[in-house]
Amino acid sequence: MLEIKNLTKTFGDKTAVDHLSLKIEPGEIYGFIGHNGAGKTTTLKSVAGILQFDEGEIKIGGISVKEDPIACKKMLAYIPDNPDIYEFMTGIKYLNFIADIFGVGAEERQERIKKYADLFELTKDLAEPISSYSHGMKQKLAVISAWLHEPKLIIMDEPFVGLDPKASHILKEMMREFCDKGNAIFFSTHVLEVAQKLCDKVAIIKNGKLIRSGTMEEVRGDDSLEEVFLELEEE
Amino acid sequence: MLKILLKKQLYQLNQSFFYDAKKGKARSKASSIGFIAFFVVLMVGVLGTMFTYLSLTLCEPLVSVGLGWLYFALISLVSLMLGIFGSVFNTYSSLYQAKDNDLLLSLPIPVRHLLVSRLLGVYLMGTMYSIIVILPAVIVRLVVAGFSAKALFGSLVLMAAITVIVLVLSCALGLVVAKVSVKIKNKSIVTTVLSLGFLALYYYVYANAYTLLQTVIQNAQTIGEKVKGMAYPLYIFGKVGEGEPLPLAITVLCVGALFVLTYILMERSFLKIATSSAKTARREYREKQTKLKSADSALLSKELSRLLSSPTYMLNGALGTVILFVGGIALLIKGNWVVELFSTELGFGKDFTTVIGTLAVCMLTTMNSLSAASVSLEGKSIWLSQSLPVSAWKVLMAKFNLHMLLTGVPALFCSLCVCIVLRPNLAVCIAIAVLPILFVAFLSAIGLVLNLKMPNLNWTNETSAVKQSFSVLITLFAGWILSFAFAGVYYLLFTSMSALLFLIISSAVVAVLCALCILWIKKRGTEIYKKL
Repeated sequence: MLEIKNLTKTFGDKTAVDHLSLKIEPGEIYGFIGHNGAGKTTTLKSVAGILQFDEGEIKIGGISVKEDPIACKKMLAYIPDNPDIYEFMTGIKYLNFIADIFGVGAEERQERIKKYADLFELTKDLAEPISSYSHGMKQKLAVISAWLHEPKLIIMDEPFVGLDPKASHILKEMMREFCDKGNAIFFSTHVLEVAQKLCDKVAIIKNGKLIRSGTMEEVRGDDSLEEVFLELEEE
Repeated sequence: MLKILLKKQLYQLNQSFFYDAKKGKARSKASSIGFIAFFVVLMVGVLGTMFTYLSLTLCEPLVSVGLGWLYFALISLVSLMLGIFGSVFNTYSSLYQAKDNDLLLSLPIPVRHLLVSRLLGVYLMGTMYSIIVILPAVIVRLVVAGFSAKALFGSLVLMAAITVIVLVLSCALGLVVAKVSVKIKNKSIVTTVLSLGFLALYYYVYANAYTLLQTVIQNAQTIGEKVKGMAYPLYIFGKVGEGEPLPLAITVLCVGALFVLTYILMERSFLKIATSSAKTARREYREKQTKLKSADSALLSKELSRLLSSPTYMLNGALGTVILFVGGIALLIKGNWVVELFSTELGFGKDFTTVIGTLAVCMLTTMNSLSAASVSLEGKSIWLSQSLPVSAWKVLMAKFNLHMLLTGVPALFCSLCVCIVLRPNLAVCIAIAVLPILFVAFLSAIGLVLNLKMPNLNWTNETSAVKQSFSVLITLFAGWILSFAFAGVYYLLFTSMSALLFLIISSAVVAVLCALCILWIKKRGTEIYKKL
């Protein structure tokens, strides 16, 4: 589903991501962990086609992000760490905007908006401007918009920040259900307990370099993910 | 504690002189000095000169007939209005909407100290605006009528009283704005309409200022009697400027009491309002049939929503839309007078009048600068359009098209009015319509080019993206320069050329410029947008 080969991205003389390679298969929830400034967001933004990278290759469903970014973007959805979405729109206007861009039909969009907005208890607030939403409500709206066009791959940067426990639980269930259908999710998180319980595979990044990756069992062995992470950070 | 808060408030108030929000760092010493000097020149040089002229016009005629008090009363009214206008919006935002209210309220600071520090900010802002009117008036009075300790003392008390009244009224109006703003829907549209009303009123007063002044001077005695009879406090207030002891004492007592009363009310209500989360009744979403849109149409709608959500953007970026319609209608009403002026008074031929009329429409279109701020206005949400499956070209063209739509259509209307007034043949009519449309396309494209070259995505207040933007300023000047250049070239070199031929050549020149800009956007602009 997603193949990253030797991804390198520099900002001035700082190498944010250094020859990073990883592969995500259909059906996998892939966790991405690392310290602040390790290069997680840069990697995720590069995959989403927002950042242009210096070296390497990113392929989504076998299509190169560099060569055909539009085709790749049609297959994915991206949720940033901070939901800076169009505050001048109402919730429903925003969802319709996303649906229009992705060419989602009238019936499908109505059905999906109802399903997910009801799930997150956001339906009543959809007529309100996004500027009046709390951080958590914006995050819920970003999640709904990501699921709206049924992508193949969802990229999420710290998706649980700002969500209440119930919404977090719903999102985790949605993520599992989404991947069980043969899709994939690549997401970053600092909550290692969530990563340990939710992810099929995990990658640990440090100073832009991938220092460990694989299935959860391969990465943590008999230790907890937290112990492994802290140990690797100290090396 | 209060000292620290006052220091913080003063720093916040003057932050823009020392801190560049766009670059996110402190200004250099030279830049700060330059910025302060520019501000002083603007305030003292422009506004100060204007009000000195006003004082000079009023002072001598009124003082000479023993109506010095009317002079002070009138100037005080202007000073109060400017002071309140300058600080009322600041009052609402700095008292009740300050971003650090929550933080400061959580610290062990008495609410009273917080309120005093906030009020100081409001007081200084109002004082800055009111003093710019009253100070030149006092100086002019002392020069014209001669210096006396009594008059000087009276003037100083009057100035102090005005600044306190401005504070009191600003606080009262700020309170009203706070209460009303949480109740109304479509705030941006209401604000825009009200601002346009103010603007129209301003232009009306400005256009009739000379007549108003003459009326006051010629009917000074009658007006004086009426003020005395119907607005006695204003008479008392005017007398303070002359240093009369009794009015002085009454004013000091009344203003002092008013201030104490306001402070008590503010102290009682501040915490409640500052922490209030009162909201309008929520609009509950009801499912309804959605109208599907193409990606292009969705992007255009998004640009339109962005515009309609912001009074600042509407007033600064799309004022030309209103002006073009108003200009067209005014031309229809006053058309014969304009034609008469050009042909009989100025001796211009029909061809020259046609060229000038068309270029005047072009000139009016420069008042719209939608595209020149549109990239910057993406701000922190730019990731969204970059992550969607639409090309940067489509995103940029939506911005281009909004400018075309909101400027091109009114420009076409205005061109039609020019045609109705001048009644040229069909070919010239088409040329009159084509040049402004191409002109609008060029301005839309150059605005985008400049904003792509000089974007500001890190704004905290959209005013900096819309008003304090070089791309907007340069686009405006580019439009003016091009309009004047065409008019100058025609006047100096081609007066013998037919209007039709000149308009065709001008259209060709603008079309080439526009094509070059669009080509640049397609090739370079899209790449820049992807990397923003």
